[in-house]
Amino acid sequence: MTGGLELRALGKRFGGVVAADDVNMSVPPGRITGLIGPNGAGKTTIVNLVTGMLSVSSGSILFDGRDITHAPAHAIARAGLARTFQNIRLMPEASILDNVMVGFHRHETSGLLAALLRLPAAARETRAMRDRAMALIGRFGLAALADHPAGGLSYGHQRRVEIMRALATDPRLILLDEPVAGMNDVESAEMAEVIRGLAAEGRAILLIEHDMRFVTGLCAHVYALDGGRLIAEGSARAVLSDPVVIEAYLGSPLDA
Amino acid sequence: MIAQQLLNGIVVGGVYALFALGFNLVFGIQRILNLAHGAVFMAGAFTAWYTVVNGGPLWLGFLLAMALSGCLSVLIELVCFRRLRRTGDEEFGAIISSIGASLVIMTIAQRISGTRIVRFPFDTFPIQIYQVAGLRISLLQLFMAAAAFALVVVMAWFVYRTPWGRRIRAVTENARAAMLTGVNPNAVYRQTYFMAGALAGAAGVLVGLAFNSIHYMMGEPYLLFGFVIIILGGLGSIPGALLAALLFGMMQTLTIAFLPTGLTNAVIFLGLFLILLLRPHGLLGREEAGQLRGRR
Amino acid sequence: MASLYNAWGPILDLYLLQLGFAFSQYLVLRAGVFSLATAALAAIGAYTAGILAVKHGVHPALGILAGTGMGTAAALVLSWPLARLRGVYQAIATLAFVQIVLSLNIWAEGLTGGAMGLMNIPRVVGTPGLLAAAVAVTYIIWAIGRTRIGRTFDVIRENEAVAVSLGVSVPRWQALAFALSGAIAGLFGALEAFHSYALDPNIFGFSFLIATLSYVVFGGRKSVLGPLVGTAVLILLPELARPLAENRVLVYGLLLILVINFLPRGVADTLLDAWHRRRLARRSAAAAEALR
Repeated sequence: MTGGLELRALGKRFGGVVAADDVNMSVPPGRITGLIGPNGAGKTTIVNLVTGMLSVSSGSILFDGRDITHAPAHAIARAGLARTFQNIRLMPEASILDNVMVGFHRHETSGLLAALLRLPAAARETRAMRDRAMALIGRFGLAALADHPAGGLSYGHQRRVEIMRALATDPRLILLDEPVAGMNDVESAEMAEVIRGLAAEGRAILLIEHDMRFVTGLCAHVYALDGGRLIAEGSARAVLSDPVVIEAYLGSPLDA
Repeated sequence: MIAQQLLNGIVVGGVYALFALGFNLVFGIQRILNLAHGAVFMAGAFTAWYTVVNGGPLWLGFLLAMALSGCLSVLIELVCFRRLRRTGDEEFGAIISSIGASLVIMTIAQRISGTRIVRFPFDTFPIQIYQVAGLRISLLQLFMAAAAFALVVVMAWFVYRTPWGRRIRAVTENARAAMLTGVNPNAVYRQTYFMAGALAGAAGVLVGLAFNSIHYMMGEPYLLFGFVIIILGGLGSIPGALLAALLFGMMQTLTIAFLPTGLTNAVIFLGLFLILLLRPHGLLGREEAGQLRGRR
Repeated sequence: MASLYNAWGPILDLYLLQLGFAFSQYLVLRAGVFSLATAALAAIGAYTAGILAVKHGVHPALGILAGTGMGTAAALVLSWPLARLRGVYQAIATLAFVQIVLSLNIWAEGLTGGAMGLMNIPRVVGTPGLLAAAVAVTYIIWAIGRTRIGRTFDVIRENEAVAVSLGVSVPRWQALAFALSGAIAGLFGALEAFHSYALDPNIFGFSFLIATLSYVVFGGRKSVLGPLVGTAVLILLPELARPLAENRVLVYGLLLILVINFLPRGVADTLLDAWHRRRLARRSAAAAEALR
């Protein structure tokens, strides 16, 4: 049994519409796996199925050998699967620190009564989480801005805060949903470094991307999706030069 | 006995339909719960009363009530909701804002009426009772049913058969897409609110005539009944609201006839609660797409 | 001193009671539950305490405990159906709940005294008792804001999908918020019963609901200061000038429209944010100065 994420013949129907059909994928630890496809190919559906936001119609999902096909969404997160969102979702008025601290939710164990009365145990836990959050923020080079509201940050910095929040859960797998959408070249180069670092720590990474250039530089193994089906898989170079993939991208003329 | 109650229920249901259709139209188009709708309804009743006691004919009062309630409704949209839509927190904000509007309108009505219950003069509507197949029906009831029917037909024609109605439906389906095809959403909102207000005003006049009692708090129970109807019919659905209004009118007259007084409302709202539990999106409503809550 | 208390004592008592209800409303909103059930939960607490005292001669302390317990239990039961609903549907369901409790209180004359109300409740709670309860609840709300409970409530309110993606079981946490809100409503309902000789069903009707909602909207839904400030301002306002008192409902209505449109986060939260921003700006200016 391999670690990481395993999709077996995964399918999803909305009424009569097939959004995902017979999708087989594996996302091993320590590597960056890519999932590409034109707009509307069903990439986000896959993310929602894996994270438990949508119910699965057929097939199964295994995470570190455990069947999570029908597990509730919060339980999947607690099992060590984290994600970022395509459209950044932060608490805009809260500080960076507060945004990152909520990521520690699954590691907080102080009793409810202790928290309600703010007994020493709860206060201690909050201090410990604050220190860990500050360490994380420092690692991402945003320590000077820790008290600033997240909504006022640049696009690139907001993406970083989302990744920090996901990292705070200490996940074994991170789903990154278009992490460089809307970024300039410098910002996306920095983001590529961050993602490489995460993989080097031994985490499994599933990178969902529209931008093929970004995928080429990063991913060891790439899956291409179109119309809810896998149309190619293999090394980045092989998949991107596959005529079927090129046609899928060029077939939708506005996307190319 | 039951047939008589059902008949009465249908008449009442028609009036509820007038009230709830506008309420539901507004919810459908903006996902906004306009809690000032009951106050608009009340304002309609007061307008007709004011016209009649000052010597105007009832038909004029009826038209003025619809016009004034329609304008009031448009004003509420402008003052209470337009700004909120830009900030994006309209779901919560609209409830607060419309409660505020409702308080303001009710205070004005309270001042005008001096907190009294006002009544139409005795001969405003001729009292005439017919016996048909063992059922009693008054001329007023016939008028109420006919007026409600006519207004619903006009509204349905407007929404389903005219270019304005097509725009309303387009904005209801997808405001952004409609905007891209050149529809001005603010104009559509104005028309919708006017229609909703005018229908509520008409319902207010009919209720004022039926019970011959008009006071500044008369909108409150109707607002609650409006909730029951739109939940029953599905938020945003026109045919659903119509069906639910008739059903609710009949259910209500039956519960009033057969249950101990005082328990009626408890039973009605318990029913609402159960429907929400079993069918969270109403009997005819459909599940709203794009609301991810996750497997539980 | 005595005359000062005679003039302002009743207003202080009113403030302390209303503050409790405001906190009950605040808690559910903070956790992203769109509930308006505080009025009904307070009624349940008040009638539990009142009936136990009048009909069964139960000691007030036990009555207050029972009222708190019943408020909590009712909220917990209610939280189960509410978890299946969202947004406006929660608001409608809880409005229906308020209506059900109101009608049942009027109907069950033998138990509650019906529309005439429940009389002859011993008046055993005075300003000190109310003050103690208000301080305790304020402390708990403050504590919630500084521990994981507040953080979890905040992320649920801001974005449910994010909360779930971080491992938060939204129904469970919202049930907790609801139970706490019910406990506070029940407690202050019971205190109200022992503070005012008599109860009648309409105390906990729509004007109650609108008042508690106004306190929180006016003050703010995030910091502990929101309900404290909102309740104080809205209760003191009518005392300041006669025209304000005579037009109380009108003033509330206009304030609700103005605040939600122009200060949607409430007066206290907006001021706190502005103060926080200024402090940050001054700090970065100082840092820039030091670098030069």
